[in-house]
Parts: sequence; C-alpha cells; structure tokens
Amino acid sequence: MMLLVYDQPGVMQRVMGEFNRKRINVETIVVGKCEMPERARIVLAIEDREKALGVLEHLRALHEVIEADLVDHSRHEAYALIQSKEGLCRVTGSVEEVDSIVTKSKPEKYVQTMNAI
Amino acid sequence: MKGARAVVELLRQQNVDIMFGIPGGVLLSFYNELEQSDIRHILPRHEQCAGHMADGYARVSKKPGVCIATSGPGATNLVTGVATAFMDSSPVIALTGQVATGVLGNDAFQEADAFSLMMPVTKHNFRITDPKLLPETIRKAFLIATTGRYGPVHVDIPVDMFTSDISDEEMAKEVKIPKPKKNLSGLLDAIKLLEKAERPTIMVGGGVAWSRAGPEIMRLAELLMAPVVTTLMAKGSVPENHPLVLGVCGMHGRQVANYALNNCDVLLAIGTRFSDRVTGKLSEFGTKTKVVHVDIDSSEIGKNVKGRVGLVGDAWTVVNALIAGLQRRTKSATWRDRMMELNRECSCDYDLRSDPIKPQKVIFELSKNLPDDAIVTTEVGQNQMWAAHFYKCYGKRMFITSGGLGTMGFGFPAALGAKLARPESVVADIAGDGSLQMVSHEFATAVENDIPVIVCLLNNGWLGMVKQWQKLFYESRYIATKFGGTPDFVKLAEAYGADAIKVERHSEVAEAIKRGVKSDVPILLDFVIDPEEDVLPMTPPGKTSADCIRGRCQWKGEVV
Repeated sequence: MMLLVYDQPGVMQRVMGEFNRKRINVETIVVGKCEMPERARIVLAIEDREKALGVLEHLRALHEVIEADLVDHSRHEAYALIQSKEGLCRVTGSVEEVDSIVTKSKPEKYVQTMNAI
Repeated sequence: MKGARAVVELLRQQNVDIMFGIPGGVLLSFYNELEQSDIRHILPRHEQCAGHMADGYARVSKKPGVCIATSGPGATNLVTGVATAFMDSSPVIALTGQVATGVLGNDAFQEADAFSLMMPVTKHNFRITDPKLLPETIRKAFLIATTGRYGPVHVDIPVDMFTSDISDEEMAKEVKIPKPKKNLSGLLDAIKLLEKAERPTIMVGGGVAWSRAGPEIMRLAELLMAPVVTTLMAKGSVPENHPLVLGVCGMHGRQVANYALNNCDVLLAIGTRFSDRVTGKLSEFGTKTKVVHVDIDSSEIGKNVKGRVGLVGDAWTVVNALIAGLQRRTKSATWRDRMMELNRECSCDYDLRSDPIKPQKVIFELSKNLPDDAIVTTEVGQNQMWAAHFYKCYGKRMFITSGGLGTMGFGFPAALGAKLARPESVVADIAGDGSLQMVSHEFATAVENDIPVIVCLLNNGWLGMVKQWQKLFYESRYIATKFGGTPDFVKLAEAYGADAIKVERHSEVAEAIKRGVKSDVPILLDFVIDPEEDVLPMTPPGKTSADCIRGRCQWKGEVV
C-alpha cells in the first residue's frame, strides 16, 4: 500500500491507528521524504489483500492523507540488515532470496523488510 | 494581537454566539478575552456535559457547537462528550488548553496527551505548536467539522499560543480543504433495481436527519410506493404519523419496521451505517435483499453490509437525483397497501391504565401533550428504547439521542444545549434514574442560566436495561443493577432551585406533563414506574426476528 501524506508530527500515529482498529498487523513500514516538499510517502506491506481493501477508504478519509492506493508487488523486493560476528551486512533481493540468506546465516540480530521497497 | 484574542475573534467570525466550557490554569488568558466579547458562555458542572451541550446545540441548529476544557483532567473529562458526538456524526468543535510547548511531554502539572487521546474519537484533530498556524487551524477545524460527513474536531492549544503575537496577515489567511468525493456512477443501476422492485423499502439513518432530506424522502417513498423505516438516529426526520412511515427498526424496533426490512426485495438504505443494533446477526441480514446503499462517507459503503449498488453523496442530493430519474409506477401497490395495513395493526394501544405507572403510559402522554415543535432528548437504556418505540415524532418535533456510543447522562445536558439552540420550543429529556444520577449536577447549570427544560424521569430504582439482560440471559442473577439507596429526586432538584413533582399514579401523568410544558423554570417530573416492566419487543443480540421476545406486543404479522 502506498500513501502520500503531510510530513508533520502525529501522522504516523493517526495512520497506524486505523490499522490498529482493524486489527491488521503491518509486515513492513517504509516512510520518508519524497519528491514533493513537506510531503512524505509511506509504503506498507500487508499480507491480507481483503483486509488492506477494508482499511483503504478509512485511510483516504484522513485529512493528513493525500493519496492512498494498493500497489501490486510485481517485483518481490526485500531488504535485510544483518548483524553477525563479522559485522553489519546488507542484503537485497527477492523475498525468497533474502529470506533464505537470513535463515542460513543465523545472524545475532537482523531486521527484514518485505514487499515495501 | 495576542493568540487568546485571535481565538475569540475567529470564533466570532464563525458565527459562534454561545459556547460551553470550564476554565482552568492554561485557559485564563483566553477567558480574559472571552469576558470582553459578546459570546455567551455557559458553565456546566462537568466537562463531559460541556461536550454534550455543544452536541445537543449542534444537532438542533445543524451548525457547530463549541466546547472548551482545560488541560489534563479537563481534556480527559471532555473525551466522552466528543466521542459521543463522533459516533453520531455531530459537528462539535472541542478546544482544550494544554501546558506550554516548552514543557510538553515532561509531565507538567495537569498535562495529559489530549492530542493522542482525542485522535480516535474525532473526525480530525490538531495540536497547535506554532502560533503562526493558529488562525488557519481554527478555520480548518470549523470547515472539517461541517464538510462532507459531519463530525467533531478537536484543537489542542498550548498556553503559550494564547500569549504569542499573531499578525494581521496570519489572521486574514483563508483556508481550503478538499471537497468530499461524490460517486453517483451507480445511479442508473440503482434506478433500474428500484423500478423492478416488487417490495421496495427505504431505510433512513442519521444522515437524513443531518441533511434534512425528510420531505424528499417522503416524495420518493410515495413515488416508489415504498414504506420507510428509520434507524434510531433518523427518528423524527420523517413524520411518524404518515401511513408509509413504519417507525424505528432494530433490536427494540417496531415489528412492522423489522418485517419490512426482512421481507423487502430491494432495500434503499440512505445515510445509515448498518449498526449491529439494527441488523441483528449480520450474516443473516439482507441475504434475500438487494441493497442500494447511499452514504456521504465512502468508507461506510460495504463496511457492514455488502450492497449491490453504492452511491456516495449526501442524502438530499442523491434522493433528488433518484426522484428525477424514476418513472411513476404501480408495480408495488400491493406491497404498499399491505405494509400500510400492517402498520395500522402494529399501532397498539399503550395507554396502560394501571399502578404502579407503566413507562409506556408516560410516553403515551408525552406524545399526546407535548407541542408539535417539541424537542425530546433521551438518556440511554430502557428510557431511550421506550421513547424510541412509543413516542410519535412528526411535524417539527425532534428526537435527539446518543445512538452510536450510547452515553448515559447524554440527554439532560443535550436538552440544555437544544433549548439554547431553539428557545421557543419545549424541550423534554426522557431520563432514567441511572442516567440522571450521572449528570444531576446540571440542574445547577439549568437554574443558573435560566434554561427551562423538562426532565421526565422514568424512575424504577434500577439500571433497568442491564437488569433486563440479567433477567433474560443470566437467569435473573442480579448484580450491581439495583440501586440500594436512590436519592429523593424531588428534593434533589429543589435543592438546586428547580421545580419538581413526584408522580405515582397513572391518572396524574397527563396533568404533570401539562404542568411541565407550561413551566418557565427547569422542572423535574419524577414518575415512579413499575420496576418489573421490560422493554419489549426485543430481538436478542446476534439473533434474528424469528427469536424476538414479544412481551405485550400483539404483532400478528408473519415472522419471516
């Protein structure tokens, strides 16, 4: 799901509040500045398409949300940041690739983002 | 000018002539400016009631009601009032003071995160941390509250905003918000469905009350030969003395209204969100029905009931568009005649003449003796359902109740707000003794500000609705529903300087109400009613009409 929002305090709380109310666990959140000044883009990955559709109109009704749309992930891109004894390591690739690399390398700590980048 | 003066001026620009609130440390500079303005200020005895008063005022005047509370406990107390307005889509502007921006988040005295607290119970809310944005934020708040689907907007204002300088340029800044989307692309499909319908029924909700589309709904009903059922929120938006209006549907609704809902082939639902109190078991609702769902809020379409056609737009516009598109037709004349017949049969005699007084008798006499422009508010519980089921609302009468949130203690302060919005009308609050005890201190506000409302107390000494559920679903194991010691309500009202009458015989009910109507001071009518009387008929939660508990109800129509 891709959202264009105003870049100001409280926006994430309001947006995530909608997911909380609808009991949707968000897999991955990517958020940051975008091509427009004073705007930010949020990209979210949600497993259940039906649930995502159910929350979409509620998100569009928020006054800080300018656009909200479902984006089909034609490229299953994933990203992981791994910390092991050897140090930090970045992994990008398809969901399956990243998943298997993370599983194989048994890192001490890692964070894995799916379908949202 | 200073921020405090700016806020007062902005309120004046929005045509605010009355507001409800309780001051506090962080609001002193604002109140100092308010004192020098011509805005009338009402001081309730609890912030929750400030919210309900603003809400009642908004529901009657159809323009924003303004309430204000101080930081911390003032703001937390206000939450219930704002949440009530949110669930019933009422345009309330809630202002709260806040600790200074420099100490925000440091647990300063009377700090509560009002911005976060209010977020899920408002249409939108703001926290002003830059004085430059103060004027446009206040303007936006009013615009948002009254654009599209109405709703409460909260503005959290730290104390230093009130003392900052605001330039003329900032004061003059105009604001715009995006127009709500309309989507009438399904209009032709809707018209086709309705023209083919053999048993069409119109269901109207709170949206129709807000857009004042009642007369257009009745034109459409006559054109379609369709009966009209209302939700609790729409009661009063269509005249209940019209033979096509079947009254309130749902859990405690009239059987003829539920019959129409269950037996129609096409349901035109306008401005309603299909609450569980209306639909009963959702999976069973509308399985045989093609639903055309009209709502101003696109997120309501398909939320609870998946319709065949969804139309996004305000009730008045869409209904007029439907009228313009429909051909006159006679296909459903049989259905119409049958529903009007059933409607007559369903109008039972509830002029119950026995002692102790039956609550239905009190509602009967209120229907009979209140003027044609009376405003009735209710509390929440049995009193509300008796009123919804038995009170006849037509002409200029209004019915105001907390439908979505079901807030006990709403009716009395809302009645005060309503009376201030329409002083020429008689305003009566139908109350229960449980609800009234939550807000009885507002007699002080009513007396102090000379707001003559009638409080019709249906006094049975119980939290009656909960008791009824304990009786029906928990084998009469009563706990925490009987009031061990209830006050002498007559003395209580008199202690505040209001008038009061105790009524213990059915023969005295009408006389008491007539006296209430004539009273020019706040008056309490303490009707001591039969504690054994339940609100029936009742469709148990999560069940269908087939499982309806009838009680006195004589409904002879079929079940499904």
